[in-house]
Amino acid sequence: MSAMLLKKEKWPEFVEKLAGKNIWAPQAEGDAMRFAPVAEGEAPALDYNNTRVPPKGALFPQTETMFKFQPEGAQVDEPQLEQETVVLGLRPCDARAMAIVEKLFKWDIDDPYYTRRRELTTLVGLACNEPGMNCFCPSVGGGPASTEGLDLLMADLGENYLLEAVTKKGEALLTETKDLLDEAGVDAVKEKEKLVGEAEQKIKRTVDTEGVPEGLPGLWEDPLWQKVSASCLGCGTCTYLCPTCHCFDIQDETEGLAARRCRMWDSCMFDEYTMHTSGHNPRPTRRERTRNRISHKYSYYVDKFDVIACVGCGRCTNLCPVNIDIIETIRQVKEAL
Amino acid sequence: MKMDLEQLRKTAAEVAAREEVKYLVGWKQGTYGYRVAPAFVEDAAGAAELIFSPLCTANLATYLTLAEQLPVPRGGEPDDRKVALMVKGCDSRAVTQLLVEKGIERDEVVVIGCPCPGVVDAALLAEKYPETEEPAEMKWDGENFLLIRGGEETKIARNEILAEKCRLCRYPNPVVSDIMLGEEVETWDLAEDEGVQELENRDVDGRAEYWAEQFDKCVRCYSCRNVCPLCYCQDCILDRLNPTWVNRSVNFSENTAFNIARAFHLAGRCIECGECERVCPANIPLGKLNRKLAREVRDKYDFEPGVDPDAEPFQASFKPDDPEDFIL
Amino acid sequence: MSANFEPNVVAFLCNWCSYAGADLAGTSRVNYPSNIQIIRVMCSGRVNPLYVMNALQQGADGVLVSGCHPGDCHYMEGNFYARRRLGMLKDLMEFVGVDPKRFHMSWVSASEGHKWKEVVEKTVEDAKEAGPFEGFRRRQIDW
Repeated sequence: MSAMLLKKEKWPEFVEKLAGKNIWAPQAEGDAMRFAPVAEGEAPALDYNNTRVPPKGALFPQTETMFKFQPEGAQVDEPQLEQETVVLGLRPCDARAMAIVEKLFKWDIDDPYYTRRRELTTLVGLACNEPGMNCFCPSVGGGPASTEGLDLLMADLGENYLLEAVTKKGEALLTETKDLLDEAGVDAVKEKEKLVGEAEQKIKRTVDTEGVPEGLPGLWEDPLWQKVSASCLGCGTCTYLCPTCHCFDIQDETEGLAARRCRMWDSCMFDEYTMHTSGHNPRPTRRERTRNRISHKYSYYVDKFDVIACVGCGRCTNLCPVNIDIIETIRQVKEAL
Repeated sequence: MKMDLEQLRKTAAEVAAREEVKYLVGWKQGTYGYRVAPAFVEDAAGAAELIFSPLCTANLATYLTLAEQLPVPRGGEPDDRKVALMVKGCDSRAVTQLLVEKGIERDEVVVIGCPCPGVVDAALLAEKYPETEEPAEMKWDGENFLLIRGGEETKIARNEILAEKCRLCRYPNPVVSDIMLGEEVETWDLAEDEGVQELENRDVDGRAEYWAEQFDKCVRCYSCRNVCPLCYCQDCILDRLNPTWVNRSVNFSENTAFNIARAFHLAGRCIECGECERVCPANIPLGKLNRKLAREVRDKYDFEPGVDPDAEPFQASFKPDDPEDFIL
Repeated sequence: MSANFEPNVVAFLCNWCSYAGADLAGTSRVNYPSNIQIIRVMCSGRVNPLYVMNALQQGADGVLVSGCHPGDCHYMEGNFYARRRLGMLKDLMEFVGVDPKRFHMSWVSASEGHKWKEVVEKTVEDAKEAGPFEGFRRRQIDW
């Protein structure tokens, strides 16, 4: 793994070097940040904590056209994914989420849309120096400088960024921009490790997941679910803003005589998510839906892919309108075991 | 503010212990920072965790209609016990409006009124006094708010962090209640609705530009709909697929249709509790849409929702002399 | 906006008065702009605000809703509800930046063929002035 240094004043040049590619980066949107394609000639600022909406949309857009069709000649157009994309400055937790979700999208059937996008995308992460109030990534296997899922990791060292390639794609990006980079010494790497250690110290909240994946199925009828879900509004905030939530719905839409089949994010917290045509709903109340959301992340996914489908970014907790706190929920699960 | 926590808990314990009451919904300390969570109290002991503070922004009236109605098992008895509810002034208007619309019956609820001197805007508070993982407390202190955390007290001027809905509030005292806690508070001078006025002063293209930016952010999580005490249709038009009134795809066009439909369905019904705006994860100023409509209803049709339990629902009634200057 | 822009205007007419009024205009050989696409509904009170939204989303540059004069409704009071509802919708649409020229409402009775002509002329003229609607049209969005 090669490590390079990039002076902060050269950051705009660095971004310029990537011209021709579709660049995603965090951008201010009112008082919040969100990942969006960067306009040409702009250098995104990276002084942010994390975005409200995770960058999962870079690989898994909220609405994605699968194909278009028209009545004349039964013509079907499939979108061609060609554009190379670079996602700049995503947090290690969000990149880890992409690695976790990829296991599902590449499981029994290779999802062509997700896989193709991932092939075309280079993920450039930014290590956290200042974790958020509800971050708990170390508790679920991540860390403020985890490289899982990333192609390249950047770390903010004050005057410089330290760039460490993780994959071949990352190496390629370093080669592409090598005019702007200096070889990083041992000091820089040490400095980064020190910052990472400090960041880890700043993470106050923790969850103890020991025994949870095995134990959750046994809590099927536990009164704890009623307690946790009593105040739930049944909105999609926790799932839409979760970097690992990956459920989607498929719909046909028309416009005049043209039509398209598209898929869009769906949320297991909505009542029509499991609604059958007959009108029967196997998850009739928010109790079952909440149980499913937690169990899916902390048990079913572990069962299938051997990893907890929660990366500890804290978004669901930060933004839940009624303070349903996943850390507290897992604590209660632990207690009920 | 003469609200006595002891008295509140004692009253709540008494109500929750009643046989006719299924549970009582109140507020409790959240798990971190400035959060306050809804509390479901089933017995007298549970009432010990209840609070009422300037952080109790949530309108709990939404829980009256939120619980899913499951079919009663064969041979079983339906549980028709009452739900007890703690309400502020604005929340009580939601209860009244639900009564008007026959969403609930009066004998299905026990309303515990809490006169409210105004709550804080937690986002504004967090901006000025950053939130930490430690749960914080807050109190009313004359013309100020008192923030208590880590044993330290900070005095914050009322106007600095008062929620927008409270600046415009005309009903700080509950308009409907079975039990009233504490003393009535005096109404205060109303602020101008600057947010709405500022938009009205723009030209039509300026407004289009503003809302395009706002609606573009919408992720369609429907938290605004779900949190609203008056959005309680069992079969919401937005969930319908046949016919599809609003497409499921998330883009500016459909988001606009959704947001307009949501706001419109609350015309003459919105009681301005501001919950939609508070819960929006994309920070869309939804309150402006609702307040604009509420003002038009007030000015043009001389109607105010959620005040009179015997009123006719606004959109299901008419007056022969309703304004029609817009008709060709 | 080009001078020869021809707008699409969608009109929702009630079955009992306005539709008959438009019919009368036709049988009386009254000339009026052909930009208007008529959709017959049983009553103006049946017009859901989302009809108006959907029309604009799908390519209309203007929308007209027309019903019986107050007091003449076949269903006694449908048009009174419509008046309240669509009045609110007009305010709301204006507030979110839809040109008020794009949405009109009128009362046209079965005997008012000439009034129908005037209403259509005014609606089409206004839609022309407002230009092609590009706000939240579906086609604007690259699927």
